[in-house]
Amino acid sequence: MKEKKNVKIALLAALFVGLIVFPIVDKNTYHQLALAQTLVNVIIVLGLNFITGLTGQMNLGTAGIMALGAYSGQLMVQKLGMATILTIPVAILMGVIIGYALGYPSLRLKGVYLSLTTIGFSEIVRLVITNWADFTGGTTGVQNIPALNLFGLKLDATWKLTVFLVIICAVLVFTAYRIVNSKYGRVFKAIRDNIEAVEACGIDVAGLKIKAFTLAAIFGCIGGCFYGFLMTYLNPTQFTQDLSANYLLMMMFGGIGSVPGSVIGATAVTLLPEFLRFTKEYYWLIFGIITLLFAIFLPYGFISLFQKEKREEAGIFKILNDRKGKRKNAGVPKSGGMR
Amino acid sequence: MAEERKSVLRLENITKKFQGLTAVDDVSFDMKERSIYALIGPNGAGKTTTVNMITGVFPPTTGKIYYRDRCINGMKTFEIARLGIGRTFQNLKLFNSMSVLENLMIGGHEMTKIGLVNFCFNFGGSKKEEILLRERAEEVMEYLGIQDLAKRNVKNLSYGRQKIVELGRAMMTGPKLLLLDEPAAGLIPSERKEFVDIVLRMFEEGMDIFLIEHNMDVVMNVSTYITVLNFGSRIAEGTPKEIQSDPEVIKAYLGDKYQEIAAKERRD
Repeated sequence: MKEKKNVKIALLAALFVGLIVFPIVDKNTYHQLALAQTLVNVIIVLGLNFITGLTGQMNLGTAGIMALGAYSGQLMVQKLGMATILTIPVAILMGVIIGYALGYPSLRLKGVYLSLTTIGFSEIVRLVITNWADFTGGTTGVQNIPALNLFGLKLDATWKLTVFLVIICAVLVFTAYRIVNSKYGRVFKAIRDNIEAVEACGIDVAGLKIKAFTLAAIFGCIGGCFYGFLMTYLNPTQFTQDLSANYLLMMMFGGIGSVPGSVIGATAVTLLPEFLRFTKEYYWLIFGIITLLFAIFLPYGFISLFQKEKREEAGIFKILNDRKGKRKNAGVPKSGGMR
Repeated sequence: MAEERKSVLRLENITKKFQGLTAVDDVSFDMKERSIYALIGPNGAGKTTTVNMITGVFPPTTGKIYYRDRCINGMKTFEIARLGIGRTFQNLKLFNSMSVLENLMIGGHEMTKIGLVNFCFNFGGSKKEEILLRERAEEVMEYLGIQDLAKRNVKNLSYGRQKIVELGRAMMTGPKLLLLDEPAAGLIPSERKEFVDIVLRMFEEGMDIFLIEHNMDVVMNVSTYITVLNFGSRIAEGTPKEIQSDPEVIKAYLGDKYQEIAAKERRD
């Protein structure tokens, strides 16, 4: 058991070193950008996983969260001449503000009503950014974003920013993994499973939902902040509803509620367009079909292939098992359960 | 003697109306310390509604609820639970995606103190806390005799085992008063006996128990005091013996047959 764990840690360390070395060695900016974009998406999906994956509260406002995280810091850099490094704490603060200010009223709502509120929030953010042209730059957005300056170390090339992103992403993956596999991850999941029972255990559900939502907002804002540095410009057309849906898709693709799943999902869905480039105008059709197949046959995502218990429930294996079962029990009436 | 004991749970003129329907109508009772108090009555009599008002799921339309002489009207469910009132549900409410151990550990979540921000940086402290929580859960599982099931997913257990797990989860919150909503429903006789034994053991160890139950075998053997509801109103109150021979209770709930059986049992 312990040996297996050590092997895992060694593999992860190798992956980490590999990811750091990759942008340094591979001078192809296109590859570096693809990696950096993947890492940004990983961070955001990890956040979304807390509120939607674990706690089961459908959040369709990721684009709005990301936009606020990106704009708040960059506007302060541009208008107040703030040091670029401070955009990261500003993004975290923004995440906390969103978590409480939006979470407090909206998490009293359930199901579709919550989804609608988060869509509304996201759209309001986008419209404000679009129309408050004097302050946010309107549709032209924020241009010429300066390179991130780490106390004198200027990340002025894509590969430098990518290396820094690998480190940040690793820290956040580790933190997310710890939270998911702790008492917090457990109660988040419990809220998804049965909210009345959680309350009966003396647990403040509303407070926990806000915590989960704040975590999502913080991760989303950090992701947005780096997205700005990566693109070197921001404008409101980047933060549409499509983007929010895309993040949900990544989560579903990889495996709802799981950190490795989130990482795999974000990576797969970010890089898929690059691999499916040869399909040209058929891309969306093929992408749609792949998504549908996943929803039907692997509802718990790619990661469920590696989890014994979930695998038995996954659509494809269920179908196969039922077939097998039918052949075996042919003619035997199905016994009714106790309930 | 009975008058000297302190009140644990006191309902004063509780009424609950759902739109036109009066589910509970002017019910009062006083549950004393060191007792197993049963609330019985036909289906739809308002028993579960009463428990839901006690645990703060919804507020009573009128009337007051006291827990150890403290008015708990208007308190939220989790606040009431933190006062030391644990409960189980009529229809099981377990965390179905998790193992038995995890279900129990969620029950003990409130005994952990480390906050989320602190958790992210305090590696040692959070690990120690997790171990403590696990040990407590293991103790409870051993007490209930379900330690072999620790790693099993709750949804794959039999109904009887699930009921025990739910009881364990309630125990993990460290309650002083336990509300059991139809604990014996759906259990086979041997499971029922096991459940009753556990409940009695918990009572002996100092927990007060409030019971809703249909199974007369359980109610009459276990409880020290009974209140009978019918159509939302209290129709009788007393010790099991008094209730068994109360003509109104027999008419509304027990049925004539029951009296014959009870009389026969008394002769034996």
